[in-house]
Amino acid sequence: MPAEREKRIGLFICHCGKNVAGGLNIKNLVESSKKIKGVSFVAENKFSCSEDGQVDIQEAIHEQKLDRIIVAACSPSLHLMTFQRCGEKAGIEPQFVDLIDIRKWTMHGSPQKTSPEEALKKSIQLIDLAVKRMRLKRLVPMAEIKAEKSILVIGGGVAGLEAGLDLADKGYKVYIVERLPTIGGKMALLYKVFPTNDCAPCILAPKTAYANIHPNITLLTNSEVKNVSGHIGSFNVNILQNPRYIDLDKCTGCGECVEKCPVKVKDEVFSAGLGERKAIYIPYDQSIPKKAVIDASNCLYFQKGVCRLCEKQCPTDAINFDQKPKSVNIKVGAMIAATGFDEYDPSGKSEYGYGRYKNVITQFQLARLLDIDGPTKGQLLRPSDRKEPKRIVMIQCVGSRDQKTNPYCSNICCMYALKHAQIIKEMVLPQTDIFICFIDMRTVGKGFEEYYRRTRELGVHFIRARPSEIAEDRETKNLYLNVEDPEIGRLLKLEADMVVLSCATVPSSGTEELSRILGVKLDENGFFKEMHPKLRPVETNVRGIYICGSAQGPKDIPDSIVQAKAAASCADSELRKNKIRLPQLIVNASKLKKGDK
Amino acid sequence: MEEVYVEEFMSPGCVGCPAVQKMLEELKEEFGDKLTVEEVDITVDTTRASQYGIMSVPAVAINGVLKFIDVPEKEALKKAILEEIEREE
Repeated sequence: MPAEREKRIGLFICHCGKNVAGGLNIKNLVESSKKIKGVSFVAENKFSCSEDGQVDIQEAIHEQKLDRIIVAACSPSLHLMTFQRCGEKAGIEPQFVDLIDIRKWTMHGSPQKTSPEEALKKSIQLIDLAVKRMRLKRLVPMAEIKAEKSILVIGGGVAGLEAGLDLADKGYKVYIVERLPTIGGKMALLYKVFPTNDCAPCILAPKTAYANIHPNITLLTNSEVKNVSGHIGSFNVNILQNPRYIDLDKCTGCGECVEKCPVKVKDEVFSAGLGERKAIYIPYDQSIPKKAVIDASNCLYFQKGVCRLCEKQCPTDAINFDQKPKSVNIKVGAMIAATGFDEYDPSGKSEYGYGRYKNVITQFQLARLLDIDGPTKGQLLRPSDRKEPKRIVMIQCVGSRDQKTNPYCSNICCMYALKHAQIIKEMVLPQTDIFICFIDMRTVGKGFEEYYRRTRELGVHFIRARPSEIAEDRETKNLYLNVEDPEIGRLLKLEADMVVLSCATVPSSGTEELSRILGVKLDENGFFKEMHPKLRPVETNVRGIYICGSAQGPKDIPDSIVQAKAAASCADSELRKNKIRLPQLIVNASKLKKGDK
Repeated sequence: MEEVYVEEFMSPGCVGCPAVQKMLEELKEEFGDKLTVEEVDITVDTTRASQYGIMSVPAVAINGVLKFIDVPEKEALKKAILEEIEREE
């Protein structure tokens, strides 16, 4: 085939209605583009992505004998696949179809919008570069690879479990990797969930229990993903299984070892720092697997070479102090990151005294105190003197909607503050006065507004203000807040036995490291970034890796479940074909090593 | 080909990217108009990186073919560009 024949490049400039055409002079852009070396044909469309627009492109491909096309329109993350399909239908190899974004400089509301003159200049430069790239681009042959019928789910919380169970039920082999010694995630520790006030562990248990016995699911607790290579259909994953120092096959979860263990430490994870556990422990009653685990950093044997009482006590000889970290390699066709969230640490907001004043706690800590299986067995006692609080003040948006910490709304804080207020008023201490200091009450969701109204009817007081500072009485440990209430137009001085901070939802620790391992980008707030915020919310920049739940951004349980199902569906759509067609270069990329060619 | 188009995939926080950038600037001086270098920030243009199957940066594609992942030796990079210049279609 003659060389010139292979390089007939067609350029299609999209008006995108007025989104592009309203922001630069299209005629000038067309005329300037015609002069670019390598451009054989230039056309303009009102909407290139419309049915008519695509027909026009296909007709031009045939009539002008084009074999490479560039569409100058919107973001490739939105429509590159549309034009690749359009070109392929007219006989053009998808690799030779490109979409470049000139709309970012012209569309109202775009952060990069600029003057028509500047937009024209930038568009010409971008087209020039794209034409050169397309002109010199070599064809990389396609390869057909076998898709592994297995999936890795990272995170054993409610979102990860939902995605894993969906896929396991469809027949995929599913590995669920969980960093902690038990699956269940944050939901297992919430006591109750809004807006139904269902018992959280009770409604989660069918999922955790099913995941534990599902023939297609392998649970890897106490484990972390350390390395990933490969591509969709064939990812190689290295997982580090940290030692529990317990033989899982022998441990019956009887708890005799826990009883005998002489070491008590603060339980930061499962009691949010408000209770204690032993150096050998079972996280909580509904843990899955319900097996003991030794915390080597606090175990007398590991630290001082003495004790081993648990070993003597164990009726099944399940204790194994010689266990070492184990490296596990698996091959999977797709991955789903469901790594959840952490509660923002409010010690950075020194004005609220968290960490200095014992009676300032967070909502997650309050959830643990209210839990009948929590550190106080459901008794609401303030930490300083273990007395029942008579007045509680909750402060909303701590570390959320705050330019100094996290600018975003954490989505769930209004609802969980309402939930805790309801639980206290209805089930724990009905006589307690509760004040909620809020900026805006955001109760968007099915049944949420009604839930808010019900909370008001219970006598909870709402003040639209954010307290500037909390002071503590050194003797009584009571707390004092100055609150400017704009609705009554005066300064309120509130005295409280306890203050509860409704803290932001932040990406779980380790998200940044996992993003590096997976090659999946993070957004400006540190959550995993979706391919497109509206149209591709669970896909990522890496084909075959999906995200769901709070790993993608703050969200409640129903939304996490919906996303988990969406992520499972995306993975299934790709892998169910058994074979995946990929450019050979992607297959090659997985084999390239550092500095290799 | 006589002309070479290099896509240098990078991201703002990338440790190795400035080294590749420097190499390509030097090679650009050497090869002049024959060499076009485009920096592709994968945090902005996620689709392009995805099309190449790139999971880490820096990475270098030459005339549409991914050639290097991580920081290459300068000589290896130069050799790959030369091979492309001398390649007959």
